[in-house]
Amino acid sequence: MANVRELSVVPPPLPASWTPPAASGKSISPLVTRRLIPAGPAYLAHVKRAVHNLTFEEHDKHAEEERKRLEAMNGTGVDGEDDLGVGDEPEDEELSLLDPKEWKKQDHYQVLGLSHLRYKATGDQIKIAHRKKVLKHHPDKKAGLAGDSNDDAFFKCIQKAHDVLTNPERRRQFDSVDPYYELLEADVPAEKQLKSAKNPQKFFFDSFAPVFEREARFSRKQPVPMLGGFEDTKETVHAFYDFWYNFDSWRSFEYLDKEINEGSDNRDDKRYTEKKNKSERARRKKEDIARLRSIVDLALAYDPRIKRIKEEEKAAREAKKKSKGGAQNGVDAKQKAEEEKRKAEEAAMRQEEEEKVARAEAKKAKTAAANAAKKARRAARAAEPGGDAEPQ
Amino acid sequence: MAAQPNGTADAPIEVSSIPTVVGINFGNSYASIAVLAKEGSADCIANEDGERQIACAVAFLGEEVYIGNQAKPQLVKNSHNTIMGFRNLLGKKFSEIPQDKPITSAPVIQHPEQPDVPAYKVQVLQAAPSPLPKSTTTTPAASNTATPRSEPVPAERILTVLEVTTLFLKSLVQSAEDFLGRKVQGAVISVPTWFDSIQRNALQKAAEDAGIRVLQLLEVAGAAALITTTGLTPKELSHDRTQLVVDLGASSLELSLLSIREGIAFSLATLSDPTVSGNAIDDKLIKFFAKEFTKKTKTPLTVAPATESQDKRAEAKLRLAVEHTKRTLSASPGAATCSVESLKDGLDFTGTITRLRFDMEVRSVYDQVYTRVKELVEKAGLDLYDVDEIVYVGGSTSLPGLDETLAQGFPESIVTPFTAGTVIGGGVGDPTTIISRGCALQAKLVVVLPDDTDDEREILASFTDGHNWTQTATSKTIGMLFPEENAEGPLGGQWIPAVLRDTVVPARRLYRLDVDLGEGEGEKKVGFEVWEAKEGVKIDRVKPPKLDDEEDAPADDEEEEEEDIEVKEKTVEKETLLTALSFAAKEARQVEGRWTTTVEAQFLVDRTGGLEISAWELGPSGKGEKTVVIVPSA
Repeated sequence: MANVRELSVVPPPLPASWTPPAASGKSISPLVTRRLIPAGPAYLAHVKRAVHNLTFEEHDKHAEEERKRLEAMNGTGVDGEDDLGVGDEPEDEELSLLDPKEWKKQDHYQVLGLSHLRYKATGDQIKIAHRKKVLKHHPDKKAGLAGDSNDDAFFKCIQKAHDVLTNPERRRQFDSVDPYYELLEADVPAEKQLKSAKNPQKFFFDSFAPVFEREARFSRKQPVPMLGGFEDTKETVHAFYDFWYNFDSWRSFEYLDKEINEGSDNRDDKRYTEKKNKSERARRKKEDIARLRSIVDLALAYDPRIKRIKEEEKAAREAKKKSKGGAQNGVDAKQKAEEEKRKAEEAAMRQEEEEKVARAEAKKAKTAAANAAKKARRAARAAEPGGDAEPQ
Repeated sequence: MAAQPNGTADAPIEVSSIPTVVGINFGNSYASIAVLAKEGSADCIANEDGERQIACAVAFLGEEVYIGNQAKPQLVKNSHNTIMGFRNLLGKKFSEIPQDKPITSAPVIQHPEQPDVPAYKVQVLQAAPSPLPKSTTTTPAASNTATPRSEPVPAERILTVLEVTTLFLKSLVQSAEDFLGRKVQGAVISVPTWFDSIQRNALQKAAEDAGIRVLQLLEVAGAAALITTTGLTPKELSHDRTQLVVDLGASSLELSLLSIREGIAFSLATLSDPTVSGNAIDDKLIKFFAKEFTKKTKTPLTVAPATESQDKRAEAKLRLAVEHTKRTLSASPGAATCSVESLKDGLDFTGTITRLRFDMEVRSVYDQVYTRVKELVEKAGLDLYDVDEIVYVGGSTSLPGLDETLAQGFPESIVTPFTAGTVIGGGVGDPTTIISRGCALQAKLVVVLPDDTDDEREILASFTDGHNWTQTATSKTIGMLFPEENAEGPLGGQWIPAVLRDTVVPARRLYRLDVDLGEGEGEKKVGFEVWEAKEGVKIDRVKPPKLDDEEDAPADDEEEEEEDIEVKEKTVEKETLLTALSFAAKEARQVEGRWTTTVEAQFLVDRTGGLEISAWELGPSGKGEKTVVIVPSA
């Protein structure tokens, strides 16, 4: 993008009598020839514009691509080391105000700078993210700085987040009530919207696909069938609803338990809280199951594919009926229907296969790149000159 | 994407594949190396001896070869085997080298075999040939005496300038590789502006012989400009500015006046003077100390130039010692010492000098630099007041006295590394490391350029053979004039320069500013005229203000003695009206009774000199309607 220069001068208001004078028809003074010094990024940009004959806008676009290419070359890591895509998230102002005592309320992923990965973050990524944050926020780093050097609240928050996310059980508990998705959960299409949508088919897929993708993370069985598209076969659609009606969720609500007052010796108190927590968990779980069920119900009710399948079946039946009258005709229709079905199936299969191949290839390319990088590093290490290079 | 299982995330497994590059500042007397730091900046590194400034010297002593700062002390006892000042001889023929200068190091001779090639002759000790292998059949009877050690034999070695350079560059790169722990895959090496293509080729060849892939030979001024245009620009400086690069090295003074327009730099004028140099400062300092020595010990000592061999040795010793004195002086205003053991006749010497005294001693050198600067600026058809920034290069420019001397002629707003406070502590303006850092940044830029297609190769060539790359630039400043009622001055409004003179085309400038729309309600208009302007510097001679408050008659005769003081002021005169632009302000907002709006104005100058000006309002709802006027090229 062009370099915008902010000027601090404020031009005065125009005189009332001023009208813009007409263009004088003169052009700017003749240009002079200069020999440029070939140095710096600005020179490179200038030469690129000249060689490729680009306008400024085209060059901006080009530069953006180039930046991405370089970024890829450099790896996403800050210092060239592979950080598994953890990256460097900007820290919100609010984060520094977090109270470690209220750790249950904090978003652990955000604290570790993993809000772009969330439940998808692997153990290694969590480890790297934690290390990055600790390097930045360790109290020892702040010892010399002005202000309250004892302020290690955020560091404690980081440690808490790390504790929670590295323990698989506690991480699941947190993932179950991840505040980020909690907010999104309400984002389910309403019946009204489905009815009044201009393009019901598109709206259905657009609005439900993310919902199912989101809910899929709770499934014990993997992989989870996704909503798919309008052209799906009857079997796929049925399998989809079958799966989702028998959804086996690991979601649990221990994270929201009320704290049992550890200090109190009152056994009754403890038991009471425990009991209450248990019933609360059960209630929440029930509610959650009901919630998911209502979503699936809603989806089923408005699924344009169900409608389509029904119509198709009806047409087939009618065709069959008709064919009883004219066998020739019926056979044709039947053949046609069958052929169509086969074609659709084939297309679906092909697509799936293509996807599989693409995925495999991407994986292969990635491993190859990693291997190459490793090899290059090893080679560089090996190529270090051993003998003394000073000739006599 | 759809059927992605939970609990996994595809982590991009990528590692840095940017090759390791270094920047080398290869001066005639000193060199330095810079590597890229993790944060994308460049750092000048120290070699194994802990020196950031590495002396360009190679000394041979017996079987040993000393390179860099270790070679310098050899000048005292072993001067005829110590080679210095070889960079400037690169690519030169023997007949082109003047022979009249007094030399303190190994003399340049005609190569005994190759015609018209300068070379050095040094005495070395060669390892003795290993004794013949004893045959197993005729084993002599065991003797009681040990086999005598085979002594190395004295030999003469002829080295061409190219070979010496190769030897030296190899040691530099070795230092960088030891520091980085990786093989260096490319380097940008600095060259003086006056190096012609033969000299460039010679340097390139020497570097390639040393196993260095030369990415580019970058002129010193370019490296300086690159450092000052990357990173944060100081608040006082615009992206468009005129920069003076003062390179006071040990052996010559190089001046360049650059026009920097949004990072694109070209040279307006250059000047090189071998008579003004850091060595001249050394000479003055040595003479000062020699005089003091004579005063203290009553032992006669004449140096710079010295005639007797004892004096010569004393001079060499002093020359080594004042290096430290100069550094102390640059760092602190207090007294700096210079001590030499057994300077002459076994007498030790310790002397001190303050910065004030030092500045007095070398005043003539400072003044010479100032005169040269004035010459240079005049050569470019400019005035000292047109210079916005001074950049210092070379160790001798670290001396604050030089900056003070130069500052007198420039406007007070001038930015130098001293006013910006970036000299001490290895800041961005550190004159001793600036070139190598600039080269390293350039290497980072050049090394990633692809060379697959013709276009890409052409871009690459514009760097490597960039000294032939010419472009066109505007010759006059174009700006916006916001008319004002009852305006002061001849301009009749608020003048905002948009495209400065000497801006390489095509160019784009984008300005954002708040415009005052007055107090009244009703339709509001934003408008400005576009003019070509003539910029100049007005010199007024005014009487100096009287120092004493009493304005009495006796002051009369004094007045005549006092000279008028020159008061300079930058002036702008509008010359040609190009066009005008106006539109109604729709997004105006009222602040304290006055209406203002934010306007963005874009100036585009195309390759042929056509000008396109567009302006729009920037309101809370985004960009307003764009108004465009075009001034076609001639």
